[in-house]
Amino acid sequence: MARSLMSQKYLYMMVLPGFLLVLIFSYFPMYGILIAFKDYSVAKGVWDSPWVGFKYFTQFWDNPMAIRTVKNTVLLGVYSLLWGFPAPIILALLFNELRSMKFKKFVQTVSYFPHFISTVIVVGMIKEFTSVDGLVNHITEFFGMEPINFLSESPYFRTIFISSGIWQGIGWGTILYLAALSNVDPTLYDVASIDGANRWEKMKHISLPSILPTTIILFILAVGGILGNDFTKVMLMYNPATYETADVIGTYVYREGLQGGRLEYATAVGLMLSVVAFCLIFITNKIARKFSDSSLW
Amino acid sequence: MHYKQSFSSRLFDVANYGFMILLVIVMVYPLMNVIAISLSSPDHIDLGDVGWFPKGFNTVGYEVILEKPNLYISYKNTIVYATAGTLLTLLMTSLMAYPLTIANFRLKKFITVFLAVTMFFGGGMIPTYMLMRSLHLLDTFWVMVVPGCIGAFNVFIYRSFFQNIPAELRESALMDGANDFTILFRIYLPLSKALLATFALFSIVAFWNEWFNALLYLKDESKYPLQMFLRSLIIEDSGASSQDIQKMVIGREVNPKNIQMAAIIVTLAPILCMYPFVQKYFVKGALVGSIKG
Repeated sequence: MARSLMSQKYLYMMVLPGFLLVLIFSYFPMYGILIAFKDYSVAKGVWDSPWVGFKYFTQFWDNPMAIRTVKNTVLLGVYSLLWGFPAPIILALLFNELRSMKFKKFVQTVSYFPHFISTVIVVGMIKEFTSVDGLVNHITEFFGMEPINFLSESPYFRTIFISSGIWQGIGWGTILYLAALSNVDPTLYDVASIDGANRWEKMKHISLPSILPTTIILFILAVGGILGNDFTKVMLMYNPATYETADVIGTYVYREGLQGGRLEYATAVGLMLSVVAFCLIFITNKIARKFSDSSLW
Repeated sequence: MHYKQSFSSRLFDVANYGFMILLVIVMVYPLMNVIAISLSSPDHIDLGDVGWFPKGFNTVGYEVILEKPNLYISYKNTIVYATAGTLLTLLMTSLMAYPLTIANFRLKKFITVFLAVTMFFGGGMIPTYMLMRSLHLLDTFWVMVVPGCIGAFNVFIYRSFFQNIPAELRESALMDGANDFTILFRIYLPLSKALLATFALFSIVAFWNEWFNALLYLKDESKYPLQMFLRSLIIEDSGASSQDIQKMVIGREVNPKNIQMAAIIVTLAPILCMYPFVQKYFVKGALVGSIKG
């Protein structure tokens, strides 16, 4: 055993720095979650601060302002999934029907690009287009509507958030589906045409089944991530006028914890979110396993 | 495919091509519009009639933005973070992934589980912030590059890539008296150039677009990355903050939007320029990432 320890000493040396980094930056914060159940004082440290049980959790559920964030998080997630999940699938199927490879390549390249634009810039563009003299108002004015500053009206927040999200992600989202489609044996389509299948039937019976496993895996991931909305984008987009629909758990944790200094409370709220999110991905995977061969583990 | 096209099939093609052209317009227009506004005259911007092309050509927005010292400071910071962070993450991830490919490595199982756990559990925003604070990492260069440098998912992708390298190569090198560091740096990494290049690209883009960690952990503006500079300019509307610029705005020389849109273009330019040449690597990378480690 000592010999094997010596012979592998270089391997241990390689793993050590990464091990320490993960231990410090991933595991230590998990220990820090304990303060959700304590009255934390810097002087006493995490361990010696007094326990308070579920005090901060009850505080959350007793506060209507806080409960609003639960509703907003769920709704934003569900609507994003509803609109955002099918979009790249449809686009990939349409890409697959293009006959000119050059044109296909061009459209793909263009449609991937928004994925690489930073959120700050995207929100900057949204601000510009939805401003009172921006593009969207020009269009609505054409239909005889009054100009609105969309970003300060809470009923429009989700629509703007989700549609801009689709703009950012629809092209990039097709990549995995296109990879699955490119694995289909092309003679399959030819044989189907000889048998008299039309394009719709070929799409339905060849293309769709071929992307089904990919779809299931991505759906599991999407459902698991339904509560993990990109709250950093929300943070750039929202303002007190739109908190009504825009304030999600992530932004609330940031405001209460880091701006308001209520560290224990914010940790408790964040913890509840992670627990529910984890359960979601666990359950969806169980379901996927039952109905197909595709699952995450 | 030499079968006769039905009418409905042709109709579908026309509709599909039409849709694709529409898609390209929707994807390109916002960018063109930003460029156009950045170069238009203040009056046209106020009228809101700038579309695909600039109206009443004007470059004052760029002149103003290029005179801001904070632009250069944050540009430099982003380049430093991106370079250091990318090198560090490639090194650390490789070091971690290599031992996991060796069949009889005694900690293999332990390290794998140790990493996999972090894919599902984490401390969250506040405990992580408190950790950075107690390690005195707030407002340092390190907080931007070290904590995120090793991710479980990436380690597993590297591992499966390394596993394609025949184990005999390592064994014969060991025979010749090489140690594992030499093997990793002289054999494995040179054979993994494609992987490293792809991950380097993703990492650079991620650093280029990163702003949230800076918001959490940095108060000192001289350490802000580019996106934080941009954020204060366009999200918080600090474009016309100085008196000189306010005078220019009142004198109709420049519209605050000229400055904001110019700032967007200046920030986006490097990505825009390199994108056509490297986009195929991004696509490859996205596919590598999808194969489960």
